[in-house]
Amino acid sequence: MINYPEALKNAAKSMVRFKNPDNLLRMIVRFIAKEIGLTHASILVFDTVRQRYTFIDSRGESKLPVHLIRIDSDHPLILSFMGKGKKPHLYKDALLLSHLEKFVESKESSRGIKIKKVFDSMKSIKASVCVPSFYQGELLGVLILGEKKDRDDFTHEELSFFHTLASDAAMTIKNTEFQSQLIDRNRQLEEKLAEIKRLRKKEQETYFQIMLSLAREVREKDDSTFGHLEAVEKLGLMTAEELGIDLSGKKRDILIAGLRLHDVGKIGIPDSILKKEDKLTPEEWLIMKQHVDKGVKILEPLTDFKDVVEIVRCHHEFYNGKGYPRGLKGSEIPIESSIVSVVDAFHAMISTRCYKKGFSLEYALGELNANSGEQFHPKVVEAFISALKKNMYGYYKSRISEERQIQHEEKPNTI
Amino acid sequence: MLKLLVVDDEEEICDFLRIFFEERNFKVSTALSGEEALRKVEVEQPDVCLLDIKMPGLDGIQVLKEVKRRYPKIKVIMVTAIETTEKIEEAVRIGADNYITKPLSLEYLEKDVHQKISDVA
Ligand SMILES: [Fe+2]
Ligand SMILES: [Mg+2]
Repeated sequence: MINYPEALKNAAKSMVRFKNPDNLLRMIVRFIAKEIGLTHASILVFDTVRQRYTFIDSRGESKLPVHLIRIDSDHPLILSFMGKGKKPHLYKDALLLSHLEKFVESKESSRGIKIKKVFDSMKSIKASVCVPSFYQGELLGVLILGEKKDRDDFTHEELSFFHTLASDAAMTIKNTEFQSQLIDRNRQLEEKLAEIKRLRKKEQETYFQIMLSLAREVREKDDSTFGHLEAVEKLGLMTAEELGIDLSGKKRDILIAGLRLHDVGKIGIPDSILKKEDKLTPEEWLIMKQHVDKGVKILEPLTDFKDVVEIVRCHHEFYNGKGYPRGLKGSEIPIESSIVSVVDAFHAMISTRCYKKGFSLEYALGELNANSGEQFHPKVVEAFISALKKNMYGYYKSRISEERQIQHEEKPNTI
Repeated sequence: MLKLLVVDDEEEICDFLRIFFEERNFKVSTALSGEEALRKVEVEQPDVCLLDIKMPGLDGIQVLKEVKRRYPKIKVIMVTAIETTEKIEEAVRIGADNYITKPLSLEYLEKDVHQKISDVA
């Protein structure tokens, strides 16, 4: 004799243990088939994807071929549990073959015909009892049980035991299903977010590429010096390394972008000012100085490159606070901006433009030293010169002497 | 009495369908392999054959070819878990009278068997 309360307690304990409801359902089926001595015990579960019922498991000597059969949602067996009102064909909320038999005899009525269908389909799946697994009005599954091997009728106690198991099972199914739906929804959201991030990054990168080509255009338009941006980048990186600045990860890219894009705002400065060979009037100077703010405006949409915008914004600030646009001084100026300022000035001085020849290397370095602590950050000047001497002094020396024949006396413009 | 041959490498399926159709007044025989199926077809001359596709040895497609070549009047319904369209298309091209995918609705299967038989008449 089975101690039903004890069995229920054990089953409840097991339910907590099973993460996969299928395993729990299999356990229930095995338990019933074996302990109660049924010809078979099987369980149908609603497949939410295909909207039909399929067998999870079947146990016992006359078990069902679980992969062969499905039960559609509009199957008489399923419908017999549905709908509101009294259902006299059910016995204690379950389908009992012996109970249905009484109705089958009066098969004149349309209800009689329906019940005959239920009866026949129960027989075809060798079911004596079908116990529904409801959860908040949803039929999540059906426990399908064969007859007792000793051919006895089911007792009240057994039937209520099946009910408890079936409804506990439904709760477990719903729980795991609900959780997996939550997990699914979270995953979908995450995928969407990742997609947006990816697109945004791509957009930013595209924008960044456009900026770079803009910067190149500006340079070519400005002073027709090929390779200025590349040289500024190389010299700037060299200086930063000499200074021992952290260039890990994105930081290197940020510095490179700053070095390349600092004058991108010149795209908004009229050619008449940009290409003017004579000295600029005070009014023209005011316009020229706007290239900083214009550059900031162009770069602001690059939210991933906030630091780049800052470098650009400060590349004409002076160490002594007499620069523009904000008159920042010393450590208020990002060190990257100070690097841009030094290397850009240096390269502008030594470059030969269409309207002037480049200065000598000695002159350019002399200018940097002379303005160190005034326009330029002294540590940056020091690091730049030391890095240049280590790496590229010879290169610039020979290049400049080739290009240069006349030494200008005039002080260079370092816009 | 209508004669039905059930061919499936799973004995459980054969037994289940045998009982199901016997209760519906069919004379049912079963075969667990393609080779056995061809022998049974010759001996029993069934009206309808329910034929599994995936079986070791002679598979359902090969059996179908042979049955249709020798006994074109026997109705063959492919019963398959392979829902790949190529296999089903191939079966239909060779001359399968219908196909049903597992898991199947017993009511639909019964209806289809009856329909194929009435097609003969
Ligand atoms: Fe500038
Ligand atoms: Mg098979």
